[in-house]
Amino acid sequence: MARFRLDRAATPLVLGVMLALLYVFLFAPVAYLVYTSFARDTVWPFPWRPTLAAYENLAHLRAYQEALWNSLGIALGTAVLSMTLSAMGSIAVLKYRHRWRGWFSIIIVSPMFVAELLIGISTLIFNRKVLGLPGNVPSAIIANAVHGMAFGFLIMLAQLVRYDWRLDDAAMVFGANPWRTFWHVTAPNIWPAMLGAFVITFLLAFNNLEISFYNLGAVPTLPSLAWGSLRYGLEAELFALAALVNGVVFLSFVVIYTLIRLGIVRFGYRGL
Amino acid sequence: MVSIQRILHRPETRFMLLGLPAVLFVIVFLLLPIVSVIVFSFWRTESYEIYADWNLDNYRTVLFEGTYLTFLWRSIVTAVIVTGACLLYAWPVAYFIAKYGGRYRLLLVLALAAPFFTGAVLRLAALQAIMGPIGVINMALGLIGLPPIEFLMFNRIASGIGIAYLYLPFMVTAIYLSLLNFNFQLLNVAKVNGARPWRAFLTVTWPLNWIGTAIGITLVFIPCLAESITPTFLGGPSGKLYGSVLGLQFDQTGTWALGSAMGVILFAVCCVVIGIMWLTINLKRSGFTGAGR
Amino acid sequence: MANAGNVAVGIYDATKRFGRTTAVHRANLEIRQGEFFSLLGPSGSGKTTLLRIIAGLEDPDEGRVVIDGREVTGLPPYVRKVGMVFQDFLLFPHMTVGENIQFPLRMQGASKAERDERLAWIAKLLHIDGFEERYPHQLSGGQQQRVALARGLISRPALLLLDEPLANLDRELRKEMEVEVRRYQRELGIPFIYVTHNQEEALTMSDRIAVMRNGSFEQVAPKVEVYSDPATAFVASFVGHANRMRGRVSAVEGGRARLDWNGVQLAIPAVAGLAAGGAADYFVKCEHLRVAAGSEAATAGHNRLDGTLRDVIFKGQIADYIVVLANGAEIVVSEAAGLPRVKAGDAVAVTWAPEAGRGFAAEG
Repeated sequence: MARFRLDRAATPLVLGVMLALLYVFLFAPVAYLVYTSFARDTVWPFPWRPTLAAYENLAHLRAYQEALWNSLGIALGTAVLSMTLSAMGSIAVLKYRHRWRGWFSIIIVSPMFVAELLIGISTLIFNRKVLGLPGNVPSAIIANAVHGMAFGFLIMLAQLVRYDWRLDDAAMVFGANPWRTFWHVTAPNIWPAMLGAFVITFLLAFNNLEISFYNLGAVPTLPSLAWGSLRYGLEAELFALAALVNGVVFLSFVVIYTLIRLGIVRFGYRGL
Repeated sequence: MVSIQRILHRPETRFMLLGLPAVLFVIVFLLLPIVSVIVFSFWRTESYEIYADWNLDNYRTVLFEGTYLTFLWRSIVTAVIVTGACLLYAWPVAYFIAKYGGRYRLLLVLALAAPFFTGAVLRLAALQAIMGPIGVINMALGLIGLPPIEFLMFNRIASGIGIAYLYLPFMVTAIYLSLLNFNFQLLNVAKVNGARPWRAFLTVTWPLNWIGTAIGITLVFIPCLAESITPTFLGGPSGKLYGSVLGLQFDQTGTWALGSAMGVILFAVCCVVIGIMWLTINLKRSGFTGAGR
Repeated sequence: MANAGNVAVGIYDATKRFGRTTAVHRANLEIRQGEFFSLLGPSGSGKTTLLRIIAGLEDPDEGRVVIDGREVTGLPPYVRKVGMVFQDFLLFPHMTVGENIQFPLRMQGASKAERDERLAWIAKLLHIDGFEERYPHQLSGGQQQRVALARGLISRPALLLLDEPLANLDRELRKEMEVEVRRYQRELGIPFIYVTHNQEEALTMSDRIAVMRNGSFEQVAPKVEVYSDPATAFVASFVGHANRMRGRVSAVEGGRARLDWNGVQLAIPAVAGLAAGGAADYFVKCEHLRVAAGSEAATAGHNRLDGTLRDVIFKGQIADYIVVLANGAEIVVSEAAGLPRVKAGDAVAVTWAPEAGRGFAAEG
């Protein structure tokens, strides 16, 4: 009997240790990156003698500035497009009981199962040769949006399953046309999901290499710049960049977590 | 006579108005591009120009000139190994969070998911900083007087670790979301009926969560297969994978037709994988009772 | 008695199908100004669908809807200017009580001054003044109900639609609200169309009732008539508590017919459709029966059934007497408690005048 009890306690312990190791595996490199971004010697950054040199350099490098603007533009365009389309799609699929809603959902989610590389080269061929678009930011936005929309759709679906669509009925009876219904009743209740979709697709597009790369040609983005720089070895500016990006992502997730915890947001699953 | 107004107000019309943009967007900007790739694969590139000569040369090259198939095969093997390894590690971890996480479940999962969004390049940079030739590990070893760990760099193992590093959280999330809707009480039922823990897992937990597992497998396997930057960066000469060679056709050599053929083959393999996963899913046995309201 | 004035709402030949089911079948109805009208029926009868058709939330496949003389068929709900109260209240969770109530006026473009004035008026009328700054989830069920009512009434609409609004309240509260809702309707003079499956509710509050089943009207009449003069077997069984006796008509003569029921012969009023040899259902309301000791003589011309008193169910002012007859059937008699001097186990006789019940031809 005693052995039985030990077994029962051992399982969560073992699993817990595995989880802890996973976190170490995931975050140790990131933590090291952040630590080193403040170091004078990026190869052997010990002992701790912090400096902001790498960050200053980063801020002044023209190449990085240009890349930053491009990345922001792509991310913003992608996020707006993805959020709008996935919001419309998820509302359509959940609010109306149409016989095609299963198919619509599958089609919208399908880009998640197509390799980014394939999305990149296929949109390159299509945009460049069929549509005649040059390699530029709009082309990259479209390609990223296809990918991001799938993510956004799932994120919105997760919260929208909890929304009582009869509230929209009530709003309509009391004089709100469809647009006003959305603005005054639906959106105030689902805005966190839309924000989540926006943030996630923004981050995905901002940090994306494979999809954007092929569609952009010579136009630099932060990832492609980092990629080019990385091939020659890790420079100090790269550490600073990585630390900043990780900081922004981490912050975004803290915000999302707080929103959920405060009960402002409820993502459809019980107990999530 | 039914007026336009009346048709506009119908639920069916509203559904289409809201849903079609997203669907059409995917069809135009995903389906059509893939069709373009298929079409291009039958054409010819010469000196950076593409000519609509319908031929099978590209496929002949890929399928019969040794190297490409080798890379493809290598990629498939790597993807299988990495996916398998991820599966083995992700299941216990997801199980832990779902069953023992309690109030911290959300925190634990978000913490896992967050790194993914910093982008592959930066994450590989982080790995490089630790594992690379002048990374912390090797520098530390050097200080102690030990030689650098050769086997962790510029080979397929490094590549594999890199890919796992990138996509493991995906698998965990997919399985975790499935476990969220899993009724753990069922295990007690199994135990009461005489099933030992392992048996209970195989006959109850695993089948009921198979859809989530299958989605996780697909979400990891496909990017693994198509990975191009990780192997280029960490793989070294022996670690080159299909994806990186594919990328080269568009990036450097300008041989788009050949690249298209490679892409079609890659896509075909992906479809086969998805098809296999789809066939293994039997909705009636999955415990799936429908979504939401 | 409702004013036989203008028609507030007219529904003409309305039909609505969902896939292969017909929810509403060629409904024809006219509801008068100032009237409290109930749509009564079991679930699936089409009453909620009909209400939604009036509101504009469903578009009928055939037929027309007219509100206040204005053809609204096919028009979306937001231009119809009706008020509605929903079963789960459906108060907007992200708005305060005040904002919830003012919503219809806001949609109509009323000025802030006007909105505030109306809010004060309706809040006072419904006894919810003071709650304006609270959120719906902070209120009790009854308070939420009043807020929902206020929201429906604030714009003084042409009519108010109510979809089983009291279903989620506990019994005591429901009884209270029944009286209150009736009072508001009287005070405001707006026609109420009230959907419910609870016949007591319908009887308490309405002027006229439409009993619905499977998408059609079984009877549309003032409530007293629906209760005491049911038009069909379904209405007789659904409204009030009645005993049902199914048998075969053996003779029809004069104003009476003879019904053979489980070995007993009963006299029942002859109505069209009852023919000798045909099957029939005869309904008598429990309160129209009398139970007395078996030894007492029967009144001439009354039906009489002999049996044993099995049980007495005391309900306060009245009691239900469960009598088991010789033929095995059970009869329920409702009388003022204590009046019949009988107790369980006694041999008793159940008597009533044939005209107190109604017979309907049946299939088979």
